[in-house]
Amino acid sequence: MNTKTAACQLLVVALVAVTPVFAQWEGYPTPAIPRTPDGKVNLNAPLPRTPDGKPDLSGIWQASRGAFNFASGLRRGETVPFNAEGKKLFDERQANNSKDEPSARCLPSHIAMRNQLNTPFKFAQLPGVTIQLYESRSTFRQIFTDGRPLPKVDWPTWGGFSVGRWEGDTFVVVTTGFNGKTWLDQAGHPATDAMRLTERFTRKDFGHMELETIIDDPKVYSKPWSTVAQFTFRADTELLEFICEENERDSQFMIGK
Amino acid sequence: MKRTWQWIVCGVGLGVWVTATLALAHHSFAAEFDSTKPVTLKGTITKVEWTNPHTYFHVDATDENGKTGNWAVEGGAPNVLYRQGWKPDTLKIGDKVVITGSRARNGMNLANAISFVLADGRCVFAGTSGPEGTATECGTGGRGARGRGAAPPQN
Repeated sequence: MNTKTAACQLLVVALVAVTPVFAQWEGYPTPAIPRTPDGKVNLNAPLPRTPDGKPDLSGIWQASRGAFNFASGLRRGETVPFNAEGKKLFDERQANNSKDEPSARCLPSHIAMRNQLNTPFKFAQLPGVTIQLYESRSTFRQIFTDGRPLPKVDWPTWGGFSVGRWEGDTFVVVTTGFNGKTWLDQAGHPATDAMRLTERFTRKDFGHMELETIIDDPKVYSKPWSTVAQFTFRADTELLEFICEENERDSQFMIGK
Repeated sequence: MKRTWQWIVCGVGLGVWVTATLALAHHSFAAEFDSTKPVTLKGTITKVEWTNPHTYFHVDATDENGKTGNWAVEGGAPNVLYRQGWKPDTLKIGDKVVITGSRARNGMNLANAISFVLADGRCVFAGTSGPEGTATECGTGGRGARGRGAAPPQN
């Protein structure tokens, strides 16, 4: 046995010895990410960029503080600028414990809220399109970055139609074409087919991203309003399956007031 | 005495958690469960449903009033529990458990789980400390304190 062979065998033995057993991919080390000497992801490392110099948002992200009430991200001192119709809807839903929220029956949550749930999503930033894969309900969205305009919508949808562009290091996503069937959130904030949704994603460094979400929906709010949420990069995990329809039993037991 | 202390620590931790996570469900918590009506169920697991959007653990149990029956106890979604250390067989048919939770508003034998304490004293903090957790871990810092327990996270 020559020296190289012996070294190779030693390496194999060493690798086998230190490789833990992972359940599915939970805990499997995410490759090619910066790590600290103790092996943890280095959240404070510089943000990665694509060959064209733009920040690369790719990876798994999760809200640092999961939310069910979109207004929880309001800046200090700000309130939701309901108009009369919006306030009426919100108050009715609150009084009824939000029992009629479509998402409880496994219909889609609002795209604006889905980012901020207690489950992660994955950005895949490709030339011409950035894809968002949500663990929530195993859903996805395409954000086109090839310069196309927002479409003239003749079939409004639950998630609308999204296009993205860069403003400096901020990825700006505009979405219209909603069908208005889902609520903005479980708290009962309304959302209609007139909404123009703007999301401003700014990756600060390797492990931190900020999102400003601007709700412009004149049917239920008197002026545009916005919230801010923070996200953390999630290493060493992958998206898991979530098929809501499998065993949904809650909606039959929900009671209003 | 040690066991008593563990229960106290576990309980305090759970209280913090309940305050922090009410209504974090795929549905409105308040429409289905009443957090002012806690329930403690002592019994034996009869069926496990590792399903979306919620897990269900069925148990032949006696409640704190001495009333017996088969209860359905709703837990967190599998994806969230899995990341926090649960597996489909973490709780098995035949396991002796003490479950704390909130009663359903409709009066059925249905509850939303906060915690499961196994016969050996391990407090399975509904996804926070994971199945290897101990009662002490349930209530103190680290994994137990940041919990999104058996109560369903929004998904």
